[in-house]
Amino acid sequence: MADALTAEILRNALCVAAEEASIVVVRSAYSTFIVEGADAAAAILDARGRLVAHSLSTALIQCASLRSALPFVRRAYPEMRPGDVFVLNDVYQGGIHANDLLVFRPVFVGGEPAYFTGTLIHVADLSGLSAGGMASDATDVYLEGLQLPPVRIATADGPVDDLVRVLAANSRTPDKLVGDLRALIAGANVAARRLEEIIAGSTPSGLAAGIEDYLADTERRMREGLAAVPAGTHRGEYALDDGHTVRVAVVSDGAGTLTVDFDGTDEQVPLPVNAGFSQTHGGVMYAVRCFVDPTLPMNEGCFAPVEVRMPRGTLVHCTPPFPGGGRFGTVAAAEEAILSAVTGALEHGGVAASGILQAFSLSGARRPWLHMSFDLGGSGAREDHDGADATGALFGGGRNIIPQAEPIEARLPVRVEEVSLIPGSGGAGRHRGGRGTRTVILMLEDARVDTRGDRLLRPPPGAAGGGPGRAGGYYRRRADGILEPLGTKATRQPLAAGEALVVETSGGGGYGRPQ
Amino acid sequence: MDPTCTDPACTVATDVGGTFTDVVLTDGTGRVTVAKTLTTPGDPTEGLLRGVREVLAEARVAPGDVGRFTHATTLATNVILERTGVPVAFVTTEGFTSMLELGRRARVEEERYDLAYAQPEPPVPPSHTFGVPERISATGEVLRPLDEEAAARTADAIAALGVAAVAICLLHSYVNPVHEERLAALLRARLPGGVPVVTSSAVWPEMGEYERATTTLMSAYVGPVMASYLERLGGRLRGIGITAPVHVMESAGGVLPAALAAARAVYTIESGPAAGVIAAARQGARRGLADLISFDMGGTTAKAGLVRGGRPGVTHEFQVGGKGSFGGRRPGTGVPIKVPAIDLAEVGSGGGSIAWVDAGTLRVGPRSAGADPGPACYGRGGALPTVTDADLVLGYLDPGGFGGFRLSPERAREAIRAHVAEPLGVDVVRAAAAVHDIANAQMGAAVHVVTVRRGIDPRGFTLVALGGAAPTHAVRLAERFGIGRVLVPPHAGVGSAVGLLYADLAIERARTFLAPVSSLVSCSASRDNLGALAEAFAGLERAALADLAADPADVEVTRSVGMRFVGQSHAFTVDLPAGPVTPGTVQHAAEEFYKRYHESYGIDLRDPAEVTTARVRAVLPSGSRDLPRAEPGPGTAGARRVWLDGAFHEVPVRSRAGLAPGETVTGPCVVTEPQCSLLVPPGWRGAPDDTGALLLEAARGEGPWPTR
Repeated sequence: MADALTAEILRNALCVAAEEASIVVVRSAYSTFIVEGADAAAAILDARGRLVAHSLSTALIQCASLRSALPFVRRAYPEMRPGDVFVLNDVYQGGIHANDLLVFRPVFVGGEPAYFTGTLIHVADLSGLSAGGMASDATDVYLEGLQLPPVRIATADGPVDDLVRVLAANSRTPDKLVGDLRALIAGANVAARRLEEIIAGSTPSGLAAGIEDYLADTERRMREGLAAVPAGTHRGEYALDDGHTVRVAVVSDGAGTLTVDFDGTDEQVPLPVNAGFSQTHGGVMYAVRCFVDPTLPMNEGCFAPVEVRMPRGTLVHCTPPFPGGGRFGTVAAAEEAILSAVTGALEHGGVAASGILQAFSLSGARRPWLHMSFDLGGSGAREDHDGADATGALFGGGRNIIPQAEPIEARLPVRVEEVSLIPGSGGAGRHRGGRGTRTVILMLEDARVDTRGDRLLRPPPGAAGGGPGRAGGYYRRRADGILEPLGTKATRQPLAAGEALVVETSGGGGYGRPQ
Repeated sequence: MDPTCTDPACTVATDVGGTFTDVVLTDGTGRVTVAKTLTTPGDPTEGLLRGVREVLAEARVAPGDVGRFTHATTLATNVILERTGVPVAFVTTEGFTSMLELGRRARVEEERYDLAYAQPEPPVPPSHTFGVPERISATGEVLRPLDEEAAARTADAIAALGVAAVAICLLHSYVNPVHEERLAALLRARLPGGVPVVTSSAVWPEMGEYERATTTLMSAYVGPVMASYLERLGGRLRGIGITAPVHVMESAGGVLPAALAAARAVYTIESGPAAGVIAAARQGARRGLADLISFDMGGTTAKAGLVRGGRPGVTHEFQVGGKGSFGGRRPGTGVPIKVPAIDLAEVGSGGGSIAWVDAGTLRVGPRSAGADPGPACYGRGGALPTVTDADLVLGYLDPGGFGGFRLSPERAREAIRAHVAEPLGVDVVRAAAAVHDIANAQMGAAVHVVTVRRGIDPRGFTLVALGGAAPTHAVRLAERFGIGRVLVPPHAGVGSAVGLLYADLAIERARTFLAPVSSLVSCSASRDNLGALAEAFAGLERAALADLAADPADVEVTRSVGMRFVGQSHAFTVDLPAGPVTPGTVQHAAEEFYKRYHESYGIDLRDPAEVTTARVRAVLPSGSRDLPRAEPGPGTAGARRVWLDGAFHEVPVRSRAGLAPGETVTGPCVVTEPQCSLLVPPGWRGAPDDTGALLLEAARGEGPWPTR
């Protein structure tokens, strides 16, 4: 009992350390999107790059990014000193895109880095074609923003000011950028401090043994769950709005090991539609986790039994200089393809597709202000229930990450006129798809808007005879009230004071023929 | 001893639980009289009155001499959890009527990967949700006047629904409540008399429309039930001659005047459990123990709360129906109520929980035999076995009973035989032992949530046993966690009610107040903001004093401000020195903020900061500071066969009253008192202090059994 208790306290202490780091980042960051809504990601990894614990409500793709990037940091800096902190955003080295900054800090045991704490948020602005980093016409990675390979951003003496000045000089909102960076470092430092306390309390070897047990236990339970996926090769595919298709083969040995192979997926494109490999890997883990005990902790034990093959140069694994910023459409397609492959192999097959996260950013035309946010589509219906309305289908987040109207208006020159569910937007069926939302934001100053959505031209299809969800879209409401469509991947479109942005998210597909 | 109580500090405290109603009277000298009666769920005031009459008679106190009446009730919690509040209509700004359906839930843990995720029903259905044309800006400017014709139509539609309360939350009402107040007046004029209309600016005037809305509508939902209950209670007390004001425990550990408790019912959600944690903190402080786990086990539920460094944890957001924590505390998982509450975890399992066999597996709870019919051994018609029945069969309880009636071992044995032992194919004693162990494991879950789940090692803490069933289970529970110290206060069986005796009358009031610190501290800056801040505090203090209906000279008012860096969202609450609001006092608060920020985040920052909230807490200290004592008296000593570690053993049975201060109690033994029975397992020993508080410690390495 005592040993089991000690082990459990240790596991929870690791998770709490990651959670505390994410809270510190949110509370000390400056981007409206982060401080009023989205969670920050934080993780604890070991020297071998294994994921030990991560913050609770983090989107899995962000956690996967921290896990994927750490080996590149270690390769770039074979020698590290206590107090060092590193930053990167390189999509080809595990990052996501320019605006998502990853920060790592080593924790030393016996003079060597034994663990790493990592934090990640979407920072306000880091150059690129559009403020906020959402330019959908970025034909290569350089147009997405300033590229950062792993570099040292702080030492025991404090921030590396030379580098901080370069970063600030490349941001349209330098104060917010520096504040966000400081918050990321503070989060990594707090988690490192907690980890040092844990090491002091349980001895280095006690912690190492505790972690081995934890990961092994998770892996055993993960394999038990995956063993329920019938042996064989199960195929699925999903097409993006532009027709590009993600194809997957899920190979199960029926004993708890999976291979997820994206061979046959379309080639990468010179637009921010592709996904960096870390993002696809995160999407794979999300989809696979839907078939095992949902109470499993998220750590290396979940990754270990799943081999992921992502052919280089395809939509799911972009290579230089192809951009990766608009990855969530592709990641969601990969997830949908896996869900359909696996559910197709199960006795009660079939799954309707979901509306996904639809991002947008608003920025000042005459002075620098920025509002980056998103709305959520309706979930697909399943065999025995309706889809959930406007929730974080396919990445597991909830609406708590979307800022509310009051704090947005208190911070920015906009007025939120409406946030409502769209009646009847869920696909028809024996069970209906979840509904999408309509958000109307009035400009009080001249502004520009970037949009980034998918499943708008090809709305989420139903399953087993169910109808598709209603297609969402982005619109400009002119001063005279007339709605004009904006592109689903519009860039820097003007919105004059008195005009409004209308964001409608797609409903989820229905399941079964309507009765 | 003086036969009557003439001391104005003569206080009656009452705690209505799911099974028992505890009543405690103190005359201010520390002398305590106690009664435990069965709760009467149909009308809880009935059982309560019975207990009050009992203590008055026993203490020989005239009803008119009661100077203070404090009350803890689980009414608000039950109303919310069982969804038995009144039908409510919700009105918000046009364009935002999906607010409640959309919610702001986080998907955590099991929900994240659930393809079958079903969103919860909104707390008010769309059919009862209305939008009115109006708009106020973030700075309080009226952008669009309230459309009074539309408001009138809304009133008629609400009247047609026949709801019993209305909640209003309009955008930015926290900075300008004019539309909410006007709309409320219009609605009141067109709704049947007595239908309360609750405005968000009155309940929780802070930014964040969703949380403000849910807090308001929960207040509307519970308020009428609470109001009619407290009215009935007040009437019945006056009926027996008690004219003392009724004070109701609020969730953060203070007490509210009854009228206020009805108007701000959401503040009483953790009424009873909070009393237990406060009592534990006070008992621990007396013994110089600052790190405590309060363990409060009654008939229906058990609660665990954490006290660190002498202070109970307080949260500022309670999640109704929340996931991932037994008290529903995980942010973003339920319907948020933005009121301060003592942080604790609760499991729906207590002495009255029914044991049953489900497809070959023994289960305990969540159904409770409650007070009626009660455990089988009460002989009140209950035939189903409960945890109390198991405890009796195992010898942990005295068949002589407590709470004034005898317990029947025969009935307990029969119930366990028929419903547990036979279906499982084991003998009655082993079945009873299994029920006891499972109950301990469930209690463990509550302790787990407040410690292990947060990465806190419980082993350095002292477990404080409160509630009728706690002393029977506390030491075994401590053993599960390797906790080496258990404190059993005097009158532990009515521990929460005892805590209530000493709760201060307290009220917190706050409002959003946004202003840059620079505009408040600089000599050259306009004094408008400083004046406005002083005026905000004056208004809050007037309101708080009116709430307490107290003489300002007796009230301690503390002021604080929310402060953050401009551009950030999370504010720290820092105290503002008393006296006039000056540039100096604000600067002092700002320095404190910088210091706290540095301590919390390791960032030494001096960027522009802003004030976000003005907050006052007004406290009217309770009369007595003394803790109650258990009067030593003639005790009994005997022996009983008790099931310990797989066999029955003859162990000593002592009555608590017979223990002299400093006398050592060594396990295995049982210490009985009128409201509870303390099981001291082998390997534990302790001694009562001069108040009768018993501190048990695990005597490591001194095995009491030769075989251990």
